[in-house]
Amino acid sequence: MAAIQAREVSKRYGTLTALDRVDLTVEEGEIFGFLGPNGAGKSTMINVFLDFVRPNTGQVEIFGHDCQRASVAARERMGVLPEGYELYDRLTGRQHVLFAMESKDAGGEPMEILERVGIEDAADRKAGGYSKGMAQRLVLGMALVGEPDLLILDEPTTGLDPRGARAMREIIREENERGTTIFFSSHILEQVEAVCDRVGILHDGELAAIDTIDGLRQSVGGGTKLLITVDDIERVEVGRIEAIAGVESAWIESEPSQIVVTCSNDAKMDVLVGLDDVGVDVLNFETEEPSLEDLFVEYTGGGE
Amino acid sequence: MTWRTIAKKDARAVLDSRTFRWFLGIVAIAFVFGGYMLPLSVEAPTTSDLPSSMVDAVTLLLPLLGIMLGYKAIVGERTSGRLNLLLSLPHSRRDVVVGKLVGRGGLLAVAVSVGIVLGALLVYYPFGTLEPLVLASYLLVTVCFGLAFVGIALAISTLTTSEHLATAGAFGTFFVLVVVWPQLQPLFSVALERVGLASGGLPEWALFVHGATPGLLYERVVEGFYGGASDGPYLGPDAAWYLGEWVALALLIAWAIVPITLGYLRFQSTDL
Repeated sequence: MAAIQAREVSKRYGTLTALDRVDLTVEEGEIFGFLGPNGAGKSTMINVFLDFVRPNTGQVEIFGHDCQRASVAARERMGVLPEGYELYDRLTGRQHVLFAMESKDAGGEPMEILERVGIEDAADRKAGGYSKGMAQRLVLGMALVGEPDLLILDEPTTGLDPRGARAMREIIREENERGTTIFFSSHILEQVEAVCDRVGILHDGELAAIDTIDGLRQSVGGGTKLLITVDDIERVEVGRIEAIAGVESAWIESEPSQIVVTCSNDAKMDVLVGLDDVGVDVLNFETEEPSLEDLFVEYTGGGE
Repeated sequence: MTWRTIAKKDARAVLDSRTFRWFLGIVAIAFVFGGYMLPLSVEAPTTSDLPSSMVDAVTLLLPLLGIMLGYKAIVGERTSGRLNLLLSLPHSRRDVVVGKLVGRGGLLAVAVSVGIVLGALLVYYPFGTLEPLVLASYLLVTVCFGLAFVGIALAISTLTTSEHLATAGAFGTFFVLVVVWPQLQPLFSVALERVGLASGGLPEWALFVHGATPGLLYERVVEGFYGGASDGPYLGPDAAWYLGEWVALALLIAWAIVPITLGYLRFQSTDL
């Protein structure tokens, strides 16, 4: 059974289409990245999962529970870090976790949760004085209560410093190893790239692409880019390099002085060997994968 | 069914506020004060004398407390985003509404009960009479009256996503139902006479309509059951059956149930 199964989900607000017939399946045990620029409809989709928002058409099932008709049953399987929440100012961090435990009818020791998310020192302080980063950690902790089968994280690294973001990724991996499915929305590519098995890119309410990161790279067409520094660039003949099987194009750049070759991944060594054959000494070389940034821009039309 | 968890947390949050502690205390003290004053004006008072002597204070204070407790309960959480946090946990929207009603209505019930019991004891001691059944029924009726306003305010709180609108709606409702409406009877008389629907006093259907606010219903219940009133346009021997205290009691219970139910149904069907 799929962890998340969305069929033809559409949501309109007046004339604005927030979601346009989104089909999405997230398998059990996956780490799924939900990527898209701000305003693309990511939060609307998550709000449909949580039954905060009712779609105009289509439906979503979480582990087979309809998100609208069996919302509580669906949410019993989830741990959620929602967007746009606020804490209870007068309750302490520990009381927040206790409340989550009571709500989910789950046992456990609140301090263990607070230690996991790294705010054990603030356990007995009122949450009204928490920074945004501490609030994110606390709500992540509340989401972890009761060992959920599915973690829904809406822009989880908002407000976190780099260390916090790394801790968040570690927790995501740990939870995933325990068997938890992770659904993780972000507009920041690196974070998705760092942890996700599969990515869906949402643009203007439509699912523009859904694939593994490698798959997405390939579908964009760019192979590898080789940057080669040689001892004597005058002796390099671009035409001979381009004749090597698998090479798309080659050219010489002057600043810094190096040869640039775009080729398939397998042709990299052939290029280096070819240079060696004509007596050119290779001093250094780097490879560049096509960046996800390029990918993202390509799918979301951000470069127009 | 997790409304208990919500009710408990909500009641604790309300008690954390000094304003609310004061307000709940004042309501309880009002009954105690009433119980203290009653023996000064009535010789050998009974529990049945308490309701009528308190009716003016009750019909002002309890609506105010009920509205205060209820009007921000849901819209406040909605605009701040606490509702997002709450509903991302496995609570249903019904749990939220029921939890708020029980949590806040429960506090009102406790304040009213403590006040009435202590007030009744002051009536009883040293020269009065204690009527346990009267005490119990008066307590229930008065709590029901207070809950009607908690329910009305909560219903208003579920209807809108704007705190300003909720505030205006709640206090507007208080002003109309409690302050203005009871004074309008002469105006209705004149208006109905103008259009030829009445001559000299309101017809019975118009009395029924005018007397259907929670406050006027509560007064009628108190007069009919405890005050021993058996005259006047509503409770007199010639009045229509639907103007009597039993129908008034049924309508009062309806006020405690219907508005909050409608509010819940609407809340249930909207996007947050």
